[in-house]
Amino acid sequence: MFPFIVPDRRRNADPLFWSTVFSAGLVLATAVIFSSYLFWESLPVWDQGLWAFLTSVEWDPGEDVYGAGAMIYGSLIVTSLALLFALPFALCGAITASEFLSPRARLVFKGAMETMAGAPGVVYGLLGAAMLSLWVKDFFGLIDGSTLFTAGILLGIMILPTIMTLAEDAIHSVPGEYRDTALSLGLTPLQAFFKAVAPRALPGIIGAVLLGLGRALGETIAVMLVIGGLDIIPMGLDLFSPGQNIPSKLGREAAEAIGSGMHWNALIALGAILFTGTMMLTAAGSWLLRRRAV
Amino acid sequence: MNLSIKVFCRMTLTKNYGLNGVIVSLVFLASFSFGYFERGVKLSFAEEIETLRIVGSTTVAPIAARAAEMFSKKHSGIRIIVNGGGSGVGINAVGRGLAEIGLASREVTLKEKKRFENANLKDHAVGRDGVACAVSSEIFYAGVTELTRQQIANIYSGKIKSWKDLGGPDRPILVIDKEKHRGTRHVFMNYVFGNVNARARGARLVTGSNNEERSKISQSDSAVGMLSAAWLNGDVKGIALKQDGVSISPTEENIRSGKYPVIRDLLFITAGEPKGILKEFIDFVRGEGGRSIVLESGYVPIHSS
Repeated sequence: MFPFIVPDRRRNADPLFWSTVFSAGLVLATAVIFSSYLFWESLPVWDQGLWAFLTSVEWDPGEDVYGAGAMIYGSLIVTSLALLFALPFALCGAITASEFLSPRARLVFKGAMETMAGAPGVVYGLLGAAMLSLWVKDFFGLIDGSTLFTAGILLGIMILPTIMTLAEDAIHSVPGEYRDTALSLGLTPLQAFFKAVAPRALPGIIGAVLLGLGRALGETIAVMLVIGGLDIIPMGLDLFSPGQNIPSKLGREAAEAIGSGMHWNALIALGAILFTGTMMLTAAGSWLLRRRAV
Repeated sequence: MNLSIKVFCRMTLTKNYGLNGVIVSLVFLASFSFGYFERGVKLSFAEEIETLRIVGSTTVAPIAARAAEMFSKKHSGIRIIVNGGGSGVGINAVGRGLAEIGLASREVTLKEKKRFENANLKDHAVGRDGVACAVSSEIFYAGVTELTRQQIANIYSGKIKSWKDLGGPDRPILVIDKEKHRGTRHVFMNYVFGNVNARARGARLVTGSNNEERSKISQSDSAVGMLSAAWLNGDVKGIALKQDGVSISPTEENIRSGKYPVIRDLLFITAGEPKGILKEFIDFVRGEGGRSIVLESGYVPIHSS
């Protein structure tokens, strides 16, 4: 059976072997069914015009009018802000940990980062709603702290440890000979890092950033608590206006719309857009991370 | 027969959180609409346990949760689970058979009736409540204690942006809107704009449950929102509505007498006429036992008005 999947010598293996194959098949089927369901259920929305759905800002279930513009805009803005905020800190942290910390200190540092990276989004969200949004409100003199900016900063804090620890892995996996050679040629440690190590670690670092972005794009509850929940594209590039991103919209409206008509299809379509986005980021990130071993 | 009953209260429903209000509300924000009120009774022996799932309006949920607790004390062998989510969620759940009772603080819309034609939705009024136009206490004490319908409409459509124009301090108004399907919003928008789905272009924030709305209003010093009158407290004040020169506050007395203009029935919605234990439960809530629960929850019992 399935000689093209299972090598010949395994054909008469014990039942346990086949049960593992069965489970693996189930996992694969789930992935296929999952993604096809997303696109199949959102078909009625695509039928009405893909471009109109992607760009319109009107979202009114009462009138059965759906446009994802505000949510897509919000997702892009919030994710970019998070990246802008997190990147410098993440990279500096990764360089320090890999190049300048003692092995013991490095492990402690990595441990802390990985703990932070694993903290659930809702915990960040609670702190964001209780503290960050009030700080933003007071610091910038706004009438309310629920803004795109707040959400961006909060996401930045969330993805910082993810990016830092993955980028650190990438830098650390560059073989020591590169450093030794560069140092023996008379370069300072920093010069050695930028000239010899960084170019080799670059694909891995970019991969780390993309995986971090994937997390930022899909984060729901933390963003929902601080973004304001208003489906608008603010005038100009006003970061201190409330907004909406795709996951937050889904979180707010999914329960009332489950399985009912166009509203549901439109939400699923939003899900499909989000899925495509994170899938591409994750795929690109994993591909680059795999190449990091030079 | 060893009968041990455990009552699970994930979170109690009380209306005055006092100093801890903001913290408690934030926890509510986190669990935002789902699963806060869950009370159930579990039996330790194997017997058929009937489960009643109740989902919907966070305005009606306190009544349902209290009633569930009392009812399951008297009736062993029944498990009642009460969840929030909002009126739209409740109607959707009962229409699709995901719950036995949907809670709604508004009428079922025509669109929903059409969508769930087969479910044959029946509503059972269990109490009455007013929807207040609520403001931060700072605004209330600064002198904005009454507004006309037109003024509220202007605030929500974005024509009035500062409290100064309404006789208050020179501060921008933080206009808080609610999720579109929420019962409180339907009733409020119907009063202000004559349209349950009216758009609020002046809104700065969108909230969900009564808890979330109230904590947002009390966190700010210049907010206005819409809130079930039973949820008003020291930090969140209900504004009097001015009609033909008369101001009517959203007090219990005015809601009971029907003088306050924005009132709604709180509904238990079932698919078809209720039968068996479901009927017993609804009769219990609408009967003498339910009366005190409704009062205790801060609402007006339906038969006294």
